[in-house]
Amino acid sequence: MAHDAHHHDSHAHAHAHWDTSIWPFVISFGILFMAVAFSFKFVYHNSFASILSLGLAIPMILAGVAGWTSEAMGKGDGFSYSAMGWFILAEAMIFVSFFVGYWYTRLHADVWPPAGTITLPKMMPLVMTFILVSSSLTIHYAEHLLHLGDKTGFRLWYLLTIVLGAIFLGMSAYEWSHLIHEGFTISTNAFSTVFFSVTGLHGSHVVVGLTIFLAGLPSVFRGDIDEGFMRTAGLYWHFVDIIWFFVVSQIYFW
Amino acid sequence: MNLKEWIFTTDHKRVGVLYLIGSIAAFVIAGIMALLMRAELSTIGPTITSNPTQYNVWLYTHGAVMILGFQIPALTGFFANYCIPLMIGAKDVAFPRVNALSVWLFYVGVILACLTFFIPDPPDVMWTGYPPYSTITTGNTAMYSFTVLILGFASIIGGVNFLTTVAYMRAPGLKLSKLNIFVWCTLGAFILQLIFVPVLGTAVTLISMDKYLGTNFFDPTKGGDVLTYQNLFWFYSHPAVYVIFLPFIGVVFEIIAAHAKNMVFNYKMVVYGGIGGIVVMSGEVWIHHLYVSGMADWLRIGQMVTTLLISIPVGLMMIGLIGTLYKSSIAFTTPMMYALGVVFLFLIGGLTGIPLALPSLTIAVSDTYYVVGHFHYVMAVAGTFAIFGGVYHWFPKVTGRMYNEFWGKVGFWITFVGVNIVFWIMMDVGVQGMPRRYYDYAHFPQFEGAHQWMTLGAGILAVGFTIAILNWILGAMKGAPAGDNPWGSPSLEWSTVSPPPHGNWPTPPSVSEDWHPYGFKKA
Repeated sequence: MAHDAHHHDSHAHAHAHWDTSIWPFVISFGILFMAVAFSFKFVYHNSFASILSLGLAIPMILAGVAGWTSEAMGKGDGFSYSAMGWFILAEAMIFVSFFVGYWYTRLHADVWPPAGTITLPKMMPLVMTFILVSSSLTIHYAEHLLHLGDKTGFRLWYLLTIVLGAIFLGMSAYEWSHLIHEGFTISTNAFSTVFFSVTGLHGSHVVVGLTIFLAGLPSVFRGDIDEGFMRTAGLYWHFVDIIWFFVVSQIYFW
Repeated sequence: MNLKEWIFTTDHKRVGVLYLIGSIAAFVIAGIMALLMRAELSTIGPTITSNPTQYNVWLYTHGAVMILGFQIPALTGFFANYCIPLMIGAKDVAFPRVNALSVWLFYVGVILACLTFFIPDPPDVMWTGYPPYSTITTGNTAMYSFTVLILGFASIIGGVNFLTTVAYMRAPGLKLSKLNIFVWCTLGAFILQLIFVPVLGTAVTLISMDKYLGTNFFDPTKGGDVLTYQNLFWFYSHPAVYVIFLPFIGVVFEIIAAHAKNMVFNYKMVVYGGIGGIVVMSGEVWIHHLYVSGMADWLRIGQMVTTLLISIPVGLMMIGLIGTLYKSSIAFTTPMMYALGVVFLFLIGGLTGIPLALPSLTIAVSDTYYVVGHFHYVMAVAGTFAIFGGVYHWFPKVTGRMYNEFWGKVGFWITFVGVNIVFWIMMDVGVQGMPRRYYDYAHFPQFEGAHQWMTLGAGILAVGFTIAILNWILGAMKGAPAGDNPWGSPSLEWSTVSPPPHGNWPTPPSVSEDWHPYGFKKA
């Protein structure tokens, strides 16, 4: 009530207050330093300047995401769920480009797989699939408990989802290091390029999903998390899960 | 004026003005690049530089910044931001912070593009970045990739924002059948952005991965395929011309309806047939950019058919424009002059595009000045005229003041003469065989006179654009007060005060049953 009255007053005032937020600005320039860091490292081979830029970029982006989340939590108008749907359309198109590029190259090739390809493990991706699907179920159950008002249960299943996502990433990293150790690297041939870039792209989406969950963690423990945030974050996580089926079927089992 | 409330603003109008300032700055920078190229080409042999790579850097900056830094941000950044919430009677966009993020990402992208002038080994890969050149050049391809990625991400989150805004935040009583044509056009453009920008982002990421991280997407010796890039790139970059075309033709619809005081002719046909047709068909024509890269004959014929078919929705929109003018009371204001200029220039551009759709003819003129001239008529100049006309049209709303009508028209006519000198001659020498992208044309001495005319024309149009930009700056500072609705338009953005306050209306508007954005009272 007090807030509303204040809002009303400021409108009547000649020099009305205009809404501001510092975080979009901070994140944008963090991304600028990220791009500069890449150029320093890979184009100009200046590791020191690169690390310096990253040292600016990463704190700026993390502070931006954290600040934004706590500023916006609980103030949503309920549009974020459908907006996430549009965003997922754009995200899906990134994967479509990678897969179509892969199919185009593979179906045009005289010999496939190209020389240097090794047999990929089959058991590992199946276990990873199981873990990722489980995490989709746990986040769904967490949402359900939040809706019922069971805050303790909600926290438990929310944390479990983060743990499962982290295990998935850990297994992915283990598999990468194992394959690189065997001599199958991103530069080996066209298939290794596709393998590492598509699994890497998917992994980066797992990282983004986990970042969203971690950004919401303070609100989870404060107890002011809103259902709109949970539904939106959950939708993104389900999308990451569904994409994994395409990765497994096209990369590991074809 | 509170600078902090501008830089950290989340208000859609201020975000829009930030977009306008940034994109006009980008336009000036990229325009200077064009003038440098024209100066270089004014004589055979080295004229102002003896370094061909320097010429390539100008070419890269001109194309990349004009398209990604000027036209797309001016149309889907400034016009969409400023006008859409006002036109639908909303207090702001659905996600004001996301809006602020997209404008600052746009600035970051332009800053990266402008670093080209300061870094060693600047990118020299045109705006297309074709491998294998882009993966073996000593130029900094990473800068190109990141510029495209960041500007692309900015437009994706902008698209998400505006689709949500129009879906949920329309004023009570504002049905979809009463949206301004500009709103429909921009929605179409944003849907295209969401579907196609990620593909461009992927394409440019892959060239940097090939160059710097040792991947083999485009290296045939390791099983890669170089044509994958051209397909991915044009799968976005053809629809990109509709991302520019749709909002600019929407701006022209708004100008013509308001300054001819007439209902838009064939509203439903324009929305369903024109905008809907383009959104549906735009993804099926990109292969015509690869006519000379090699493909099966049946694919060439198929692409010819789809390319010609897409002129039907475009034609429906042109009929809508001409029909709106029919039996109306046309006021020849500066915005109207620019809008009519767009109709003329776009017609020439469209008609000269038909030969390029036909594989038998396009193979002869491919990679000549003909293509460059056609492209500049249909998109570069037509789009820029629409942007300039649109800025004049909404100038009284944005600043609350009036521009100078006399100098507005002077600027228009000088620019109009200039562009026709440059680009008409360009198509002519193209048909005669002048290849594009050449730094020197010692093998074609017969074209030196034509090149000098083109350089002269470029100078003339630069004068015209300069007059327009100065007119805005002076008008914003000391123009006469314009009143809230100088054009007498019933469209919602004119129903609030000029310039609108934070929140747009003191009380949110609602619209009645008999209201229509083009329901002009007959005199």
